[in-house]
Amino acid sequence: MLAAILYAIPFLMQGLLTTIVVSLLVVVLSTAIGGLMGIGLVYGPAPVRWLVRGFSDIVRGIPILVLIFFIYYGLPIAGLNLQPFSAAVLALTVFKSAQVIENVRGAIGSIPRGQMDAGKAVGLTFAQRLAYVIAPQAIRRFLPPWINGVTDAVKGSALVSLLGVTDLMHAMQQVIGRTYNALPLYVLGAIIYFVINYGLSALSRMLERRFSYIRE
Amino acid sequence: MEHEEGRRGFLKLGTAGLAVAGVAAAATVTATAQKAAAQAAGNSVLRTVLDRGKLIVGTGSTNAPWHFENEKGELVGMDITMARILAKGLFDDATKVEFVRQDPAQRIPNITTGKVDIVIQFMTVTPQRAQLVAFTRPYYVEGIALLTRPDAANKSFDQLLAGAANTKVSILQNVDAERSVHEVLPKAQVMQIDTQANVIQALESKRADAAAIDLSTVRWLVAKNPNRYSDSGKKWFSMLYAAALRQGDPDWLNFVNTTFNVAMYGHQNELYDAAFKEYFGLDAPTRTPGFPSI
Repeated sequence: MLAAILYAIPFLMQGLLTTIVVSLLVVVLSTAIGGLMGIGLVYGPAPVRWLVRGFSDIVRGIPILVLIFFIYYGLPIAGLNLQPFSAAVLALTVFKSAQVIENVRGAIGSIPRGQMDAGKAVGLTFAQRLAYVIAPQAIRRFLPPWINGVTDAVKGSALVSLLGVTDLMHAMQQVIGRTYNALPLYVLGAIIYFVINYGLSALSRMLERRFSYIRE
Repeated sequence: MEHEEGRRGFLKLGTAGLAVAGVAAAATVTATAQKAAAQAAGNSVLRTVLDRGKLIVGTGSTNAPWHFENEKGELVGMDITMARILAKGLFDDATKVEFVRQDPAQRIPNITTGKVDIVIQFMTVTPQRAQLVAFTRPYYVEGIALLTRPDAANKSFDQLLAGAANTKVSILQNVDAERSVHEVLPKAQVMQIDTQANVIQALESKRADAAAIDLSTVRWLVAKNPNRYSDSGKKWFSMLYAAALRQGDPDWLNFVNTTFNVAMYGHQNELYDAAFKEYFGLDAPTRTPGFPSI
C-alpha cells in the first residue's frame, strides 16, 4: 500500500498544480465578480437588482455539471469556442459567483440600516460609507460562509476532469488506469485534498480572529 | 463566396483535371461536374487535416491498454496506435497528432460539435450510436473473459464450470451482469461489484474464483503480471470497437477505412502488429497473398 502510494506521488504533481491553479482562479474571479454583483443586488437600481437576482437564481438552480457542458458545447453555437481549461474555469466561476452574491447580500443585510443612515448624517459619500462603515462589519459575517465556499471550490475543481483537463483527480485516474490498483490512489487523493482544505480552514480561523478585532 | 470556395478547391485538387479541361473550351457540363467534385473534397475534414498539418484525435488517458500514460507520461495504448497509423498515412509522420483528452461521455458531442477530427476511444459500435456518428471499420473485437489466479486450484474454464454452484464470479454491476455470466457458467454465483478495479480486487482478495472483465483487460493484465493473473481461456460476447467521425463526409471516412485496412490486412502493418503484441500479448495472424481475406 505504502509502496503504491509512493510510486504514484510523482505522477500527481502536474495534476495537483492544475487543481491549485483552477481553484485559485475560480476563487479570485468569483470573489471579485460576485462581490461587485452582490453590492449591485443590495444597493443597485431596480434593473440591476433584477438582473443580478435573475442570474443568481438561475445559476444556483442549475446543476454545475449541466453548466459545465452548456458552456463547453453551448457557447460555440454563439461563436465562443473555449478550450476545455477556460470553459471549465468559466463554468466554475459563474457557479461560485452566484454563491458569493448571496454571501455578500447576507453579510450586508445583517448590518442594521441605522449604520448607513449615520454615515449619511456625518456627510460620507456612498463609497466612503461602504468602505469605512459597512465593509469592516460585513466582512466578518462574510468570511465564514465564503471560506466554506472556497473549500467547496477546491473539491469541486475535480469536475474539470470531465472536460479532459488533467487535474489531481484525473491524474489519479490515469495512474489507476495503468496499474488497476485503485485503493492506494484514493487514500493518497483524500490525504492531499484534506491537507489543502484543512490549511484553508486554519487560515480562515486566523482571518476571522483578525477581523473580529475592533480597532479603537 | 460559393465561387471562392469552388475556386480554392479547384486549385488544390484539380490541377491535373485543369490541364485536361483547359483544352476543351466548350466543356460547361464537365466544368459543373468538376466544380461539384472539387467542392465536396474541399469541405472534407481530410482536406482540413492535410492543410493544418496535424490530426486532432479525441481519446482518453485512464484505461490501459487502450489509452493511458506510461511511466514517462506519454500517451500510449491501442487507441493511440490507431491514431499514429492515421498520422503516418496522412503525413508520413506518426508524431503529427494532437490528442484531446476527453471523458467517454464526450465522445459523441465532441464529434458532432467538430472539436475533434476523429474519436478513437474504445468505442463500441451500436446501431443507436451509428444514427449520430459515422463509424469506421472495426479494429478490435472486444469480449468478456474470465481472469483467474495462477495459484488457485480452479483457474481454467473447465475447472470453473465443474465447480458449478461453488464457483464465484465477480463482475461489474450492470443490467445484464447475471445473464452474461450464466451464459457460459449457468450455475455460478454472480457477485456484482461497483467499479472495475474492485471487480479485480475481489479476485485478488480470494472472494471470487474468477473476475469477468473485458477480454482486452484480461490479456493486458496477464501479459503484464503473469505471476499474479491468468486467463481461464474462455471468451464470449463479441463487441466491435471502431473509430468514429462526423456524418456526411465520405472522403474522410473512406480515407480512415483505407488506412486501417492497409495497416490490418495490407503491407504497412508494423505499428498495428507491434501494438497487438505489446498490449494484448498476441501475434498478428499471418497474411497470405492471394484471395483477399477482407
